[in-house]
Amino acid sequence: MSESRTFRLQRAMASLILDDEPEDIGAPAERLGLPAGDPQAFRDQPEAMDLYRELARLSLTEPLETTFPVLKALLEGAEVWEDCAQAFLSARVVRSTHYRDIAPSFLGWLVDTGWGQDRWPFLAELAHAELLEVLVARFPEADLRQDLHDEPGPGDVVWLDPGTQVVAYAHAVHRATEAAPVPEARPTHLLAFRDEEGEARVLELTAATATLLVQARTRPLAESAAALGLSDPAPALALLRDLRRQGAVLGFRAPH
Amino acid sequence: MAQGRSPGSFQGVGLGLRRAHLDEVAAREDHGVPFWETCPENLIGDGGRHHRLASAILDRDPVLTHGLAISLGGFDPWDGDYLRELDRFLVRAGTPWHSEHLCFTGVDGSCLHELLPLPFTHEAARHTIARARDLQARLPVPLLLENITYYAHLGEPEMDEAAFIAEVLEGADVGWLLDVNNVYVNALNFGFDPKAWLTRMPLDRVAQIHIAGHKKFGSITVDTHGADVIDPVIELMQWTLARLGRPAPVLLERDNHIPDFGDLLAERARIQAAYDAALAPAKTEAAPAEVVRV
Repeated sequence: MSESRTFRLQRAMASLILDDEPEDIGAPAERLGLPAGDPQAFRDQPEAMDLYRELARLSLTEPLETTFPVLKALLEGAEVWEDCAQAFLSARVVRSTHYRDIAPSFLGWLVDTGWGQDRWPFLAELAHAELLEVLVARFPEADLRQDLHDEPGPGDVVWLDPGTQVVAYAHAVHRATEAAPVPEARPTHLLAFRDEEGEARVLELTAATATLLVQARTRPLAESAAALGLSDPAPALALLRDLRRQGAVLGFRAPH
Repeated sequence: MAQGRSPGSFQGVGLGLRRAHLDEVAAREDHGVPFWETCPENLIGDGGRHHRLASAILDRDPVLTHGLAISLGGFDPWDGDYLRELDRFLVRAGTPWHSEHLCFTGVDGSCLHELLPLPFTHEAARHTIARARDLQARLPVPLLLENITYYAHLGEPEMDEAAFIAEVLEGADVGWLLDVNNVYVNALNFGFDPKAWLTRMPLDRVAQIHIAGHKKFGSITVDTHGADVIDPVIELMQWTLARLGRPAPVLLERDNHIPDFGDLLAERARIQAAYDAALAPAKTEAAPAEVVRV
């Protein structure tokens, strides 16, 4: 079945917005086999078509600029930010109608394509770290659980707040800044969570603490601590009490 | 949870609920804003402090809902998960109707997050009518369509904008969210008389009105929602309200260069005064109309 004229006109507009700037703005419509009057209409309205290209591209790239300022500074320093944005737009990976999903779409595209990571192997980690606080701050609310208690016991498992993230990076990407955007290469463990005020907070963890937090979600605390060579679980229990007070941990319960 | 409110209970000049003002709005019930408008795409599936504040306000105050990215005139299938969430959201909000833009926002599954113009052709009108009827059948409340600003014709037109919009509204049998600023901006860009344009339109379908500021870039005036409303646009709102002879709710849009809440309340009060003046002769006689016919 041949595609309708309306559909082909919409595709031509999408191409004009997302693809490399054509020398002839009527070319996308012409390639799609539209009647001669349609490509001509594009050519007859160059200022308006430029405006649409600018407005729509701004809608899609503004969330990247606000969410990934350090990554942008790094790529601007190497004069490839525009290339990166163009490659992202051309890939047409923004599928969600939720505006807040544009930045996660960019991260997904970066991971899937490996764009720029021959030169900057930390690029996806850097983008993930920049997005982390936003994702945690806006994580959907969960229903209150009635089966948790506040005081951890050696036989309990840990129940993290659903928004809490324990992440591991090969680079200290959380320390990168716009002025110094290249992170040090060293294993890094972070705990990102939402505090009582609903604000995102990020703590740097030791490798042992990060492992304990991951393992103790399914194994009793004493067993998890022993597996890590911690003969005395008391310091771990004290840390978990503190994380519960801060909001990262919802509570504790006996394993099923 | 909000109770469903009748269309006639929405009158006066409302505001868009903006993130920058959530703390203040949540803290004061005496804000004097008769209703809020909110975008479901920004709240559905979201969480955190701002989401909690917005949800509490929407449970407390009257609200109208306004979609941004459903791509009414597009060709991508509806997102079934989103429509189920939207259904629940609209019922919870108690909105008497839900509005979407008469445009397309996505192609081949790719969301462009921009309100893009439909071709002013009979084929596009038939397609959009079918989509609007289909969407209406999936919503728990009546659907309104809003006229957008357009800066270019998409392809060679077969009719003008007024004829296209009227054909879609009548064919889909849906209500109209009339954006008077968009009419004014389009009139500037394409050189027509906005009042003559409005007299050609099915004003009996108007259930709600939008008003906003705009700005000129080069030779094109752009609907920026980033400045105070100019007097000719307020006068066009008044002319329209007088023509309607009923207190259709007006929503002041402000999405860019968002002022302090106090300044926005003052801007709202200025437009409310103009609204009241426009309806002064008619208000004593006209009962709040059940204006949405679908």
